[in-house]
Amino acid sequence: MSGIVRRFGSLIGMAAIVLFFAVSLPDTFLTARNWLNISQQISMLTVVAATMTVVMVMGDFDLSVGAMASLAGVIAAALFVAGWPVPVALASAVAVGLLGGIFNGVLVSVVGILPFVATLATLTVFSGLAFVVSDGRTVFGRDIPEGFAALARGGLPLGSADGRPLVLPNLTLIAAAVVAAVWVVLEQTSYGRRLAAIGGNAEAARLAGLPVTWLRLSAFAFTGAGAAVAGLMYASRVASANPTQGDGLMLTAIAAVFLGMTLTRGGQPRVLATLAGVVVLGVLDNGLTQMRVDSYVREVLVGAIILLAVGASALGRRSWRRQG
Amino acid sequence: MQTITQMVAGAALAAGLAGAAAAETVAVITPYLAQPGTQFYVDGFEARAAELGWDVNVIDTAGDVGAVISRIEDVTTQGVDAIVLNADPAQVGAGLQTAADAGIPVVGMDAGSHPLVAANVTSNGYAMAAETAVYVANRIGGEGGVVMFVFDPFPPVQVRGVIADAVFANHPDIEVIDRITPDVSDGGIADSRAQMEAVLAANPDPGAIAAVWAAWDQPALGALQAIEAAGRGDEGIVITGIDANPQARDAIAQGGSFEASVAQDFAGIGAAAADTVARLLAGEELRQKVIYVPTELVTAANAGAE
Amino acid sequence: MRRLSLDGLSRRFGAVQALDAVSFGVEAGTVHALMGENGAGKSTLIRILSGLDRPGAGTVAVDGAPLPPGDPAAVQSAGIRVLHQELHVVPALSVAENMHLALPVPRRLGLVDWRRLNAAAAAALERLGLSRIAPAAPMGDLGPGDQMLVRIAATLIRPEGAAAPWLYVLDEPTAALTGAEAERLFAVLDELTGAGAGVLYVSHRMDEVMRLASRVTVLRDGAHVSTRPMADTSDARIIEEMTGRALSDLFPPRAGAAPGPVALSCAGLSAGPLRDAALEVRAGEILGLAGLAGSGRGALLRALMGALPRQAGTVRVGGRALGPGTAAAWAAGLAYVPRERRSEGLMMRRPVAENVALPHLTALARGRVFLDHARQRRLAESQGRDVALKAASVAQAVGDLSGGNQQKTLFARALAGAPRVLLLDEPTRGVDVGAKFDLYRLIRRLAGGGTAVILASSDLPEVLGLADRICVLRAGRLAQTVENDGLSEADLLTLCYGRDAA
Repeated sequence: MSGIVRRFGSLIGMAAIVLFFAVSLPDTFLTARNWLNISQQISMLTVVAATMTVVMVMGDFDLSVGAMASLAGVIAAALFVAGWPVPVALASAVAVGLLGGIFNGVLVSVVGILPFVATLATLTVFSGLAFVVSDGRTVFGRDIPEGFAALARGGLPLGSADGRPLVLPNLTLIAAAVVAAVWVVLEQTSYGRRLAAIGGNAEAARLAGLPVTWLRLSAFAFTGAGAAVAGLMYASRVASANPTQGDGLMLTAIAAVFLGMTLTRGGQPRVLATLAGVVVLGVLDNGLTQMRVDSYVREVLVGAIILLAVGASALGRRSWRRQG
Repeated sequence: MQTITQMVAGAALAAGLAGAAAAETVAVITPYLAQPGTQFYVDGFEARAAELGWDVNVIDTAGDVGAVISRIEDVTTQGVDAIVLNADPAQVGAGLQTAADAGIPVVGMDAGSHPLVAANVTSNGYAMAAETAVYVANRIGGEGGVVMFVFDPFPPVQVRGVIADAVFANHPDIEVIDRITPDVSDGGIADSRAQMEAVLAANPDPGAIAAVWAAWDQPALGALQAIEAAGRGDEGIVITGIDANPQARDAIAQGGSFEASVAQDFAGIGAAAADTVARLLAGEELRQKVIYVPTELVTAANAGAE
Repeated sequence: MRRLSLDGLSRRFGAVQALDAVSFGVEAGTVHALMGENGAGKSTLIRILSGLDRPGAGTVAVDGAPLPPGDPAAVQSAGIRVLHQELHVVPALSVAENMHLALPVPRRLGLVDWRRLNAAAAAALERLGLSRIAPAAPMGDLGPGDQMLVRIAATLIRPEGAAAPWLYVLDEPTAALTGAEAERLFAVLDELTGAGAGVLYVSHRMDEVMRLASRVTVLRDGAHVSTRPMADTSDARIIEEMTGRALSDLFPPRAGAAPGPVALSCAGLSAGPLRDAALEVRAGEILGLAGLAGSGRGALLRALMGALPRQAGTVRVGGRALGPGTAAAWAAGLAYVPRERRSEGLMMRRPVAENVALPHLTALARGRVFLDHARQRRLAESQGRDVALKAASVAQAVGDLSGGNQQKTLFARALAGAPRVLLLDEPTRGVDVGAKFDLYRLIRRLAGGGTAVILASSDLPEVLGLADRICVLRAGRLAQTVENDGLSEADLLTLCYGRDAA
């Protein structure tokens, strides 16, 4: 019994949170509309956290994702203003994300700067570039093409409820596609296992013939591109772009990955576990708002739940080791 | 007596459980609750809402505008009677659409205009900026160097900058030495002070800087600190801010370089927003999409008045 | 004469009887060795003795007075100091601060009295003849050997009112030390026993035990096998008692087949400390690399493997020049078992299967990209069987295995690609005798099957027992290559030191 609690404690805790809201909000929480809402609300965080998982699998992390998300948004907006077609502008912004990620990768794997230091520095660089590109302004209104803003508002019609249409949002579909892609890459390809090997023991991976430098570089490129995609999703959702709007994604994404790690055996980052972490954070925001819990108390609760999950899993692992 | 109270409470509880709203529920959503001005709006709103017997839920998203959309969706799901928004509506259109689809009215509290916002209650930002910019221009006799502190990413502050630009541009002998956007992550005072120190160092001659016009009070306070720390408090550099927060009022009352600010009636905006919600809930169709609440120029003469 | 007595100590973990009614005594003034294979119960015994774990039954007593179970402080105040295998040091703090980690820090007016702190440390170091170590130096600047000596010296610092330690328990103290560092440790142990202290010395290394101990206790499968004066026993007998196998079986006989064509050769090879090395090894041959620490044995293997960038020279495998980098080496049919299995070899928290598959992921993947988990598992299972790996399943985390089975996992990895040349760096380091035997048999069998093997080892009996030819390295140069024919350990050591063989 205690073994089950230790192994699946986090999962049980997460289920308990959902159950609690389902009981407390009987009319609104477990409705299709609410879950479609949640799926859309967490879609940007999902993309950032899923691609963050790619570098965290190697034991690295990327602090610059939030700034990159902001930068991608304002770059797309600047290109809209310059009259570029929407698809070209979006592709360019993602390309910038990819380049930024490669730059991070070069700093970390070729130059050999610690990821914390390297990506903290590029966080500042990307953020500064976002201010330079946008001139510190919020780009909104007529400068944002209707087609781009409509992206976040549209979706697949699923029927209707209470006389209003139910829609599977485009943003949710994008997030699902990204999670699926990251899952295939990390769990089903030898590339993904090589990244995991670097996380397991980088020197062993090198001696076993893995091109560690190249692998790390490419993983950071992945994360940079993911951050840019999330930034564009955010910009589409708020139909505007400003140089700081994606900044909050970084800490929450890292928290989601850590939360997910409490679900996996051996505490390793895995993308489906990350998704579970994101869902828990999203459900907490949604449910606590509906229960009218004060915003600041909500933040304290969310932080406490993260600590509880991570702390419990650390203690569980320690007592496991003592027996072994 | 006690029995009656219990009966009333019981009836209210039963009504609540039956889902028939005994009191109107109103959600106030803002990304900026940590900023002092916002707190006054919310206090004003809550005070008026309490008189009206409403049930108010104040939600802060800690600077995240995207999360404002999410929270609008959540309170729409929850089924509130009205939403009061303190964020740029152009950025939260998706949430406004959700609320509109569910038939929930949205009132802006110093938010901005939008087709899906029934009415926006605010101070006239153009007028406030005009008051301080003109105050500066008149005080320096229409000539000299002026340092501007602006913040264009936030639309209500951006309009202030636009007006000040126009006023200064209209005086051929006024030169804008620098137009600074300070880092506001710590409130804006510290970075404004640092930026002002740099400007002072670059313009060492007494009289080179005639005035500092700030789009809100924090940069004005930062500039004041920089000027005094540089020992140039007696040069007669004129500083103005906007918002007249308590710290600014103190500085103005002392009669130093910080000479003027404009007091928005934040509490009045909050109360007026509540009144607007009440009109909407009563079924009134609003013709005026922007409702202005009067402001007041604060100088040494009336700084202690509050 | 003070005496520690262990009486009927037992401890169970689930179904495993880790200790089964073990009784023996340790006396002051002597070195008492405790030996046994991995899993024999040594670590459990040390944990109970140091108060970190409670026995299921039995007592630990000093001079007849039983110590309260599970109380590390009582063990301390009874004058016993336990130095665990892992180096618990804080690299950023000074030597003197590290020496006071478990002690009250001298204070003056409530502040740390740095002068007294450093003086106490210096006095303790001085007593062990370690005055070359400065108390104020950062601990991280010291090698692992000096760090171990500093930890021993720390036990000599006696806070006011505390009893002087009279018994030192050392758990595998030389595991991380070089030969010279170990020598310094032995000198310190002489010093301590000369002053009347006792030592309970836990080690795998037969030569150390033979040299240091006056009594030896052997454990096997949690049970006490024997406690004898060293004069009444021998290395052969101890190994037999530890393993149930005779020493003569340790090195299987050579196949005696003639070596095949040249599998790997290098010429003019310079890398790291290595200068201008040339050698060749043939299919079916075992080439030993011998040399003192720092002679470049390991560097030669790393250079061949491409893990150490080659500054000059060529490496040929099967006649074809080898490109730079480890990936090219594996692709050309080289396989490598690194020296440090924890830091260089294994992903300790990952399953055995993933560890075995690591260099072979592309070959195992469908379409070279998509993982084939079943194939990976089958490979690990068949390779595991081949190297006599004992694990619950290939899904078990490799960190949960014994040192010997971890090493076998590395062999399973190296052999999974049916390598042409196998490079082994200290292949039996920290491995118990039973696993050693399995690995020696395996190496022989591979050579018999036509694999060329290059074996670098500081364990001279190992090199002499396995190699066909031996290259001796001195200071980065390949000094000499000799046939392994009638060489004694002394001959080989003489060559290593740079004098001609007698």
